[in-house]
Amino acid sequence: MKKALIVFALTFSPAALQAEFQQVNLTVFGMDCAPCAHAIHVSMKGIEGVNSVDVDLNTGLVTIKLNPGNRATMRQFNEAVEKNGFTHKDAYIVAKGKMTGTASAPVLQIDGTTDQFALTPAAGGVDLASLLGKTVTIAGVLPQAPKGKVSTTLHYKSVTEAR
Amino acid sequence: MKSHILLACALALPAIANAADHGPVFGYATPVNSQRELSFDTGIFGRQGSLGTQLSTGSGFGYGITPHLTVNAFLPATFNSGALPESRMIAGSEWSAGASWRFQHSVTSVGKRIESTGSLNLIVPGPQPDSGLLATLHRAPGVAGSVATGLASRSQYAWLGGGYTRFAQASHDQRPDTISWSAVYGYRPAKLRRGYDQWDYRGFAELTGEHTGNVRTSGIVLGGSSTTSLWLGPTVLAILKNIAISGGVQAPVFRDASTALYGREQLRFAINFSYLKYSAQTSGH
Repeated sequence: MKKALIVFALTFSPAALQAEFQQVNLTVFGMDCAPCAHAIHVSMKGIEGVNSVDVDLNTGLVTIKLNPGNRATMRQFNEAVEKNGFTHKDAYIVAKGKMTGTASAPVLQIDGTTDQFALTPAAGGVDLASLLGKTVTIAGVLPQAPKGKVSTTLHYKSVTEAR
Repeated sequence: MKSHILLACALALPAIANAADHGPVFGYATPVNSQRELSFDTGIFGRQGSLGTQLSTGSGFGYGITPHLTVNAFLPATFNSGALPESRMIAGSEWSAGASWRFQHSVTSVGKRIESTGSLNLIVPGPQPDSGLLATLHRAPGVAGSVATGLASRSQYAWLGGGYTRFAQASHDQRPDTISWSAVYGYRPAKLRRGYDQWDYRGFAELTGEHTGNVRTSGIVLGGSSTTSLWLGPTVLAILKNIAISGGVQAPVFRDASTALYGREQLRFAINFSYLKYSAQTSGH
């Protein structure tokens, strides 16, 4: 009985269905030296919910891993890059969110934030109709957006129902 | 609170030069502070000549208002003196404060930037007197402007810069106008292009030049007090995360100055320490 209650709680509690970014791999242009990378590291770590940050100067890749339950937004990640005088390019993200919209125009909503993305397949088509209204884990690429903006489209590579 | 402590340190310590946080030691360069970044520099700067050696120490601080606009102040003090010509590449005893604006910024690829920065500073006489010919002049504030442009990348750096300084008259005396310029090339060897949690080294070749006009004393232009010189030398910069140490020397490759007034300046050197405090603050949702 206890086990059944725990399973029920984990399945239907808000925490279990918390929508959030889990990982963001952001390509940053313009970092030439150690202080540049350190500045990015400090700025990203300052975002509430960020667990770890790794910066590779030679590839420009900034890998951000987030804690469960975070409410960080893409705007914050982009701002952390812009305030240091650099440019953010495409971002590969892994996120959990609610699938809304329609079968022909699906939208991913990151609850607790203002982030929502129109979904387009990166390659091939995946039938998302059965996932509408459900919380999904999605991985894909957010294309580069102009300074101060966040892309409104996510080119997803994989979508699975979150458990 | 930490920012206030750093500011207090900057004001308490004496100061000098073009010392940049993570740029060249003597020449003009383009980097500015990140938004809300506080930088603190302190160092020792020297000019050795046949009529004495000028040793100075200096502290400067900068604060990034935006990613491309930094306000800064520099408070030098001399603790040795020599009869040397006016120089803006290695400061004397004047205090300065101003702003640097990175007005052009092109980020073209991973690890590479092409950018241009202009600076405007107000210079005021410090509490210490000058030495040599300049010590005989009544002192007045001045204005210094400079522009630098160049490339920063993981492997190479190249900057060109120029500046102009003009002082006001005081009791019919006037320090000379100064035109200064620099060309800097930097290189980081492949095996030193490492992670940011390891020491980051790079070497520079710094060519700097200055032309100072004639000194005006009691309303009379002092003939032969104009100077032109060109300096070249190596410098090295080492950085670990937010701490930087740089240093180097320069020797004259061309010198046109009255030896009777200024002697023969033979060597310039500098050692600089920088601390960079980055802001973790970003906006909310």
